[in-house]
Amino acid sequence: MSLLLRRRFFWEEIDLMSLLDILLLVAALLASGLFVLGRGSFAGWLATVVYGLMLAVLAIAGLALDSGVAFIPSAMSFEILGRNLGWRLDGLGWFFALLTVGAAFFASWYGSGEWGRKQKRMGLQHALLALNVLAMLLLLSSGDLLSLFIGWELVSWAAFAIMTQGGGPAVAAAYRYMIYALAGAMAVFAAIMLVQNVTGGLGFADLQTAISAMSTAQVWVLFILFAAGFGVKMALMPFHLWQAPAYSETPGASSAFLNAVSARMGLFALILVLVKLTGLEALGSLAIPFTFMSAKSALMWVAAITMVVPTFIALMQTDARMLLTWHGIGQGGYMLLGVLVGTSLGTAGGLMHVFNYATYQAALFLAVTAVIHRAGTSDLDELGGLITRMPWTYVTLLMGIIGLAGLPPMNGFVSKWMIYKSLLDGGQPLLLIMAFAATLGTILSVYKLIHNIFLGQLRREHQHLKEAPVSMVLPMLILAGIGFVTGFMPGLALNITDIAQRAIGGDMLPHHLGGVTLATGSLNMLWVVGVLIGAIGAGALIFYLLGNRRYEVHQFDNYAGGHFLSADIRYHFSHEFYPGLARVIGPWYRGSIVRAEQGIGILVNVAGDLWQAVFRVAYTPLYMLLVVVLGLVFTGSWGIVP
Amino acid sequence: MSDKLPVIEDQPEICRSVDAGERSVWTRVMNRFADHCRARSLFVLHYCTGCGAIELPPTITSRFDMERVGVSPMVTPRQADILLITGYLSIKTLKRVILSYEQMQSPKYVIGFGSCTINGGMYWNSYATVKRLDQYIPADLFIAGCMPRPEAVQQVLLKLMEDIDAGKANGWQDYYNNYDRYLGNQQALFGESWHTPTDVIAEAKHYGYLADGTMGRHTDLLLKRADYALDRVPEDYPERGKNERRLP
Repeated sequence: MSLLLRRRFFWEEIDLMSLLDILLLVAALLASGLFVLGRGSFAGWLATVVYGLMLAVLAIAGLALDSGVAFIPSAMSFEILGRNLGWRLDGLGWFFALLTVGAAFFASWYGSGEWGRKQKRMGLQHALLALNVLAMLLLLSSGDLLSLFIGWELVSWAAFAIMTQGGGPAVAAAYRYMIYALAGAMAVFAAIMLVQNVTGGLGFADLQTAISAMSTAQVWVLFILFAAGFGVKMALMPFHLWQAPAYSETPGASSAFLNAVSARMGLFALILVLVKLTGLEALGSLAIPFTFMSAKSALMWVAAITMVVPTFIALMQTDARMLLTWHGIGQGGYMLLGVLVGTSLGTAGGLMHVFNYATYQAALFLAVTAVIHRAGTSDLDELGGLITRMPWTYVTLLMGIIGLAGLPPMNGFVSKWMIYKSLLDGGQPLLLIMAFAATLGTILSVYKLIHNIFLGQLRREHQHLKEAPVSMVLPMLILAGIGFVTGFMPGLALNITDIAQRAIGGDMLPHHLGGVTLATGSLNMLWVVGVLIGAIGAGALIFYLLGNRRYEVHQFDNYAGGHFLSADIRYHFSHEFYPGLARVIGPWYRGSIVRAEQGIGILVNVAGDLWQAVFRVAYTPLYMLLVVVLGLVFTGSWGIVP
Repeated sequence: MSDKLPVIEDQPEICRSVDAGERSVWTRVMNRFADHCRARSLFVLHYCTGCGAIELPPTITSRFDMERVGVSPMVTPRQADILLITGYLSIKTLKRVILSYEQMQSPKYVIGFGSCTINGGMYWNSYATVKRLDQYIPADLFIAGCMPRPEAVQQVLLKLMEDIDAGKANGWQDYYNNYDRYLGNQQALFGESWHTPTDVIAEAKHYGYLADGTMGRHTDLLLKRADYALDRVPEDYPERGKNERRLP
């Protein structure tokens, strides 16, 4: 491929555009084109093809980055207040850009067929999806703190626009998201201004010089502002409340896109600013007074709590989409934890989890959307037995939940194993236990998901249902297939994370096609999956060689303590699925964070009302009195009146 | 009871044609081996009707401990081998017993516990209880007495194990071979609309026990009510539910 790159392409002959320029230009043209042409039935397919082309451009860029190029520059730059503002794509941004465009490709494909035709304004959704991709690419290729902030704001507003498409409760959820996102953006802006104040510059290098020049208290302020600001997007606890409703209410295909990559923009910024620029050693040396903890370990514990609590809240959800989005919050914790461990294994594990999560979460969301498309609901209390009606959707969901739960043979197992292993090797047994606890919650809740939708009693109103159309089944099966292939051969995904890891710096993780070989223990998925499939295959062989004496019975030919079953008897146990666990973790709902959010909301409301009262209501005598009193105080305290 | 209903009578065994598989030495040896293994791992579904259940805990637990000979309780009929019915059966209960029996996977064995399952026992003149269990489902063994002690349960389980080992506990085959007779007796008791969700005829075909007595005038009644056949008209499920509740 390096040969290809040395051969100059025709656009390089005119020496105007780099690969990044092409990418941004195509994204911008696509977004604006879709706003004009979006209504056409071909628009979705056109967008899908363009995303496919963008993936090809990214692949070429990836080969260039893999061969040692530090970053791909952009010709686009501005000068603001005497400072240069530029964009360039390095390995880290490339990794996230690949996931972004990949997710958009599948979401757009899914939305182009029958599902899209049923939507009210699919053209607008296609255009907003393209706008999101453009905004994310701008963020991921930012070359300094100011372009980072601009990208950050664009991503927030683009996500807000796509979230509102659901209408009704979606608008309220999107509004809540926007308040959080703006607060986060203000924190980030404050941090950037702090850097600008100290160094007078806005480049990435200025941040590094600022940290070495600042006092400890200032570094702490900078750290908290960045962590909180970027953490909002990632839904780190306690800034996580917005995410589940906002992502759930977004229409299916767009929601799969948002779930797969949108929250990961926060992770990208955290890795960029805290890990790449500040450095984990600097964070580790930032001790919390009177404790044995540092800024790094505190953030690790935040990640661990983000991992555990939302996972168990997901367990209690009665809506399939809410269940998955709460897991999205929890899975973010794993990624951040892996990256913060800082060893080559941990970083690779965390980054690979980003990739894996994008594949299975998008597949899961598309599968749930297919269920909504056919059955009309995602309420886990009102479904059941759909396996006989929607077998391929079931297969997708099954593969997805195996990945989400982190079990072989899917890719989620590999990245989780790497994160566990890095915690174990890094001497963090308590965090390891937290990770295990979160995985336990994940396994329990994904069983609830698949049981309540696909297993058990098929309802009378779902008797006539058919499998989702090919335009919906194919993209989600391919996503699940990617999850399986990168689980069977994790080396493929690790090749991609290598590029990002090289950009972050630090040691590289040596790996092969089947996994990693370490001094303290190795993982070879070729063997694991081989043995697993071999054992299942041997069982199947025996079963079929003995004559396949399977005998199917009707679902009402079922034992219920001697009771005769019929369609008007609900024997599918789905409501209040884990009553014992619910008693234990129920109080988490009524938890302090929800109350704190409500408290802040009330406070802002009251302050706003007071302010409005002062502005809108004319109490002339009161104002007169106020002015006179203040005047007297002023003159009295300054000794003007003898 | 009205004279329209089928008369209960002990018909002689209907001769059936023996298929080639039964004559083959290989099949016989394999069946013999399977029976030998089966007799050593038995799961019992206790259908306790309100009498005699108290004798079973000592049978299972430490004093008599049936598990030492390979017999242990099971909670569902699908995984059970033995249906142990204790005490008298009211007509309403018999429906549930038949449902549970038909849901068990073949080979399956039935033990009637107590005099009530043999001849009605002390309820011999009750209008609402069943006098002879083996008219409705094939019982392999009975335990006489009111009520039998755990030793008797133990003895009968050991006897059943012997019978299974010797290939003599074939009541379940009789149910497939003469389903029409059993169904006739059931219909005499419950009415012509009686049916369970289990398709016994299809099952008899599946296991290879379709005989001359499997289908007849009683199973024809079942076919006339094919609108209840669950796979064909799903819209009629609630109808079936109401029907079920209307019956005594």
